[in-house]
Amino acid sequence: MIRTLLWAIAGVLLGGIIHLVVILSMPLLAEETLWTRLEGLNAENRIVILPPVVAGQPNPLELDPELIYGICRIDLAEGPAYMSGRLPDAFWSLAIFNSAGVVTYATTNRDGIGQTLELGVFNAAQTRLLAQQQLDIAEGLLVVEATSDELFVVIRLAPPHAIMRPRFEAELAKVQCGNRGTPS
Amino acid sequence: MRFVFRLLLMCVIALGVGFGLSYYALTDGRMFTVSQLGPWTAWPDVGAPNPNPYTRAHLTREAALQLGQAEGLHLVASVDSAGEPLSRNCTYRLEGRTPQATFWTLVATDPAGVNVAVPDGPLALRSTGIVRENDGSLRIHVGTRLAPGNWLELAGEGPFTLGLTLYDTAVFTGFGATGDTMPAIVREACA
Repeated sequence: MIRTLLWAIAGVLLGGIIHLVVILSMPLLAEETLWTRLEGLNAENRIVILPPVVAGQPNPLELDPELIYGICRIDLAEGPAYMSGRLPDAFWSLAIFNSAGVVTYATTNRDGIGQTLELGVFNAAQTRLLAQQQLDIAEGLLVVEATSDELFVVIRLAPPHAIMRPRFEAELAKVQCGNRGTPS
Repeated sequence: MRFVFRLLLMCVIALGVGFGLSYYALTDGRMFTVSQLGPWTAWPDVGAPNPNPYTRAHLTREAALQLGQAEGLHLVASVDSAGEPLSRNCTYRLEGRTPQATFWTLVATDPAGVNVAVPDGPLALRSTGIVRENDGSLRIHVGTRLAPGNWLELAGEGPFTLGLTLYDTAVFTGFGATGDTMPAIVREACA
């Protein structure tokens, strides 16, 4: 009886190991990830506005129906990335996702930025170069150091009323993003 | 023969514990990293730059556009304040206060994440568009049957989940005048 109990305890311990392996390996083994879902949007170096949520339709990205989402894919291997534009006078936020679907940086316009969005995204080597050149950073320019090169930038914009949605979408679509076509 | 039996027993226990615990951790997960405020649950680490392994697995499983920590927090309720699963056969009343936030939105989805509001009505309620009680607290009705005041009208039948997203919030940080209080979900009439 005691020996059977010891085997059962061994089973529990082995179960604990299986549990840890499952949890730790899941991000590595998953075939459909946030990255693969966003890859098909063709958002390289440009802002793509996501379609609004429709009642009764699948919403795999779990978007908030009240918000407008703009997505831009950037690759820091091609050089530092920039986002530049002016957003309508309403709440907006910005998040940078890495390929694992983790938010590596986030901010909102309540952090003193206001309506102007000026963002520079650099990897570690580019940040070091930037520091060595001792350039003056313009006031209001957000400088973000990313730990990986392939990133998605997501802007959430909250129009106060549904009737304003088309105009806010048009304003968000004007934001410049990527390694090219951005202000010097 | 006894050895084979014990070996099989160990394997069954190991697989049951291993996969069962993993499923629990990524669905309910209250014993792991999920925080609970009444019927509402949230993954507070979900928008962090270095989430813990459980949150990382949750992020992979959901594959959704999560909010960064600076942006806000998404809370979910699949049961009412009495612990009964939310059903579209019943009407519910949300009452109380929300934690401090610039604004919040309330949506209802089915277990697959499909928005279950009526197609020709609002898909979500927003804090800036609701009528409040005299003391500033909120009272929102959720269900398929006509209700007075603030009403999130649902369609269809079956289980559903409420999602409350707080934007620019101080919840779980220990700051904020209202503390970490969430509205209660009270079940009213059922069909």
